[in-house]
Amino acid sequence: MIRGALLAFAALSAAACAPEDRRTEIDVQRFFGECGAVYGRSTDISKAEGECGIVTTLFNGFRARNRDLKVDVNVVAWPGYAQLAAQIAAGDPPDLVTMHQGVMSDYASRGLLEPMEAILAQAGIRPEKFTAAARRGVTKNGRIYGLPWDTVGGLFHINTKLFEQAGLMRGGKPVLPSSAEELLAHARKFKQATGKPYLIQSQVNDPATHVRNFYTYMLAQDAVMFPDQDHIRLRTPEAKRVVELLRQLNEERLSSRNQDNPAAIASFINGEGGVFPTGTWMIGAFEQDAQTPGRPLYQGYAVLPYPRLWGRQAGFVDGHAWVMPKRERTPDQRAAIARLLRFMAQHNFDWTRTGHLPAFEAVVNSAAFKALPHRQDIAPLAQTGSPLPGYVRRQGPIEGIVGEELGAAVSGQKPVDRALADAERRVNELLSYMP
Amino acid sequence: MSIGGRRAQLEGLAFVAPFLLLYAVILIYPLVAGVVISFHRADLFGARTFVGLENYGRLIGDPVFHQALINTFKLTILIVPPLTAITLVLALALNKRSRSAAFFRGLFFSSSVLSVTIVTLIWRFILTPDAGLVAEVLEAVGREPIPFLSDPDLTIPALAVTTVWWSLGLPMMLFLAGLQQIPEEIYEAAALDRAGRWTTFWRVTLPSLRRTMLLVIMLQTAAQLQLFGQAQLLTAGGPSGASRPVVLLIYEMSFARWELGYATAAAEVLFMLVLTVTLIQYMTASRRWEG
Repeated sequence: MIRGALLAFAALSAAACAPEDRRTEIDVQRFFGECGAVYGRSTDISKAEGECGIVTTLFNGFRARNRDLKVDVNVVAWPGYAQLAAQIAAGDPPDLVTMHQGVMSDYASRGLLEPMEAILAQAGIRPEKFTAAARRGVTKNGRIYGLPWDTVGGLFHINTKLFEQAGLMRGGKPVLPSSAEELLAHARKFKQATGKPYLIQSQVNDPATHVRNFYTYMLAQDAVMFPDQDHIRLRTPEAKRVVELLRQLNEERLSSRNQDNPAAIASFINGEGGVFPTGTWMIGAFEQDAQTPGRPLYQGYAVLPYPRLWGRQAGFVDGHAWVMPKRERTPDQRAAIARLLRFMAQHNFDWTRTGHLPAFEAVVNSAAFKALPHRQDIAPLAQTGSPLPGYVRRQGPIEGIVGEELGAAVSGQKPVDRALADAERRVNELLSYMP
Repeated sequence: MSIGGRRAQLEGLAFVAPFLLLYAVILIYPLVAGVVISFHRADLFGARTFVGLENYGRLIGDPVFHQALINTFKLTILIVPPLTAITLVLALALNKRSRSAAFFRGLFFSSSVLSVTIVTLIWRFILTPDAGLVAEVLEAVGREPIPFLSDPDLTIPALAVTTVWWSLGLPMMLFLAGLQQIPEEIYEAAALDRAGRWTTFWRVTLPSLRRTMLLVIMLQTAAQLQLFGQAQLLTAGGPSGASRPVVLLIYEMSFARWELGYATAAAEVLFMLVLTVTLIQYMTASRRWEG
């Protein structure tokens, strides 16, 4: 026992005598998941797959190339804003954080983010090189508050084998509807031919599903949802039209029901439905299945922007950005952040392998990006996609409220008119009581 | 008071001072600060505008808060009585000095050591209509899967079952401790009077356990009125708020919407509610025993 105690004492003494780590340290906080078990030591960015794999490998690669820096990465559960708000309130925010461009308005308007023109210049990144959507996304009240990382939006992910079975393929391309009535007709035809729902939807614990569909078709009809920064307008014929269509698809069981996001993803890759309207972020994973012999999606996957059902072709988009919460930093830490931002910008193409659209014009126009699967098909989203107006604050909580009420209407829990009125009242109340 | 008495009093105070200081800093101060913030329109980052009772007025007219209150009461009613009954039965069955009883005591206690994340993960695998355990069994016998986590009538019972399973350990241990304190002589006297098993249970065991039972009911009521993690992770309060308890609403108000003043007003209401319900339980039980 005495020998054990002496050994422990020796070990402790050795640890105490270890040289102090004098490297410049920066704290990064990100979402996109935790996959250290698979990508913990990987530095070959070209071989990484999926959001988590690519971002983890990017940080590993940065650390390997910048051994004079200490980069601590804290992975938070998506989207991590409650944790960030608590960290800022406690006066201890990270140096660099992933943030949705729609959420940035709240933090920027409250003075919690640092304008980033200077550090972008220090990193050699010129904002005029951003895509228009990306620049719009990170610019708040005329200042740039982030390094845009991508543009994300909803897409129709399609099982072409089942579409073929339903007679909905023409010239090797899926046939999408061009009106609400045609969508119902296609969905009924699909169900009759395959016995499966036309749509696979994540409707449980996922308010974003209905909101993505709803905002897209409100934008398509040029409906003014936010007449000013303090009000939402939802009791309109345009809104009712969209929600009634979604409700009818559910009522006729033309859409899958009672599925959360993991269940809906599993359902789609197992070939249990025709179309999975979800985000750009799933392209990489679905394409991998489509290239794997024996999988239900093998050589049977296509992806297209949402079809035009009313008005014009449109898509609701958002984007991810790297932002700097306001805090004291040494010049060395700023230089370290600038190096990291530069590295991230240089690898924007690698990030687009997730399925997201690039944040830099040069990447959009590059042969490498165009050569990625399906990118030509989804490229129109870069032109037709729009975010909510920049003056709309609390976009996250608004999505939660609108998604909750739409969910009640679509599942039949509430009449459509009442759900829209409740959503309007709750959002207006939220906006009117902001401190 | 004599000098010696005063000195003893000061010594006593010195012993409890560290605890009192800690208690004041981590409990009394936040409680008072919460009351003050509830009279303000406030965000998480220090913005404060005094609005008097506006937040409380909003709560009175807020249907979402009303729904959350009703959900909280439903959950408490669906959890506390069954949990008390089940853990009492388990304690009675396992109050033996045998290896198998020790094994089962450990087994039933084991769920309590799991974190809420693991518990909800386990129950998601059981309840989800896509490939969940219950769904697989139902499909095997040709029945439709039941959407426990998305049907507004089933989410609260699903949360209640999950919580009962998770919370078996502590009440069972309290009942076991209570059972072991009942003097053996009372059972011997009952046996001499030829009392049957039911009579012994109703006339000896249950009355002897009344203080333990009151403790279990009060602790569990206070705990379930503050239920949070299971609802957040299993149903996120949905569908359409059908399973959103008050604490989840408070969390959403403060950390997602940054409405700290409104959230603290809701927290004060919940605090008063927990205090009132537990006091009523205590006073009712005490009066009955005195009677």
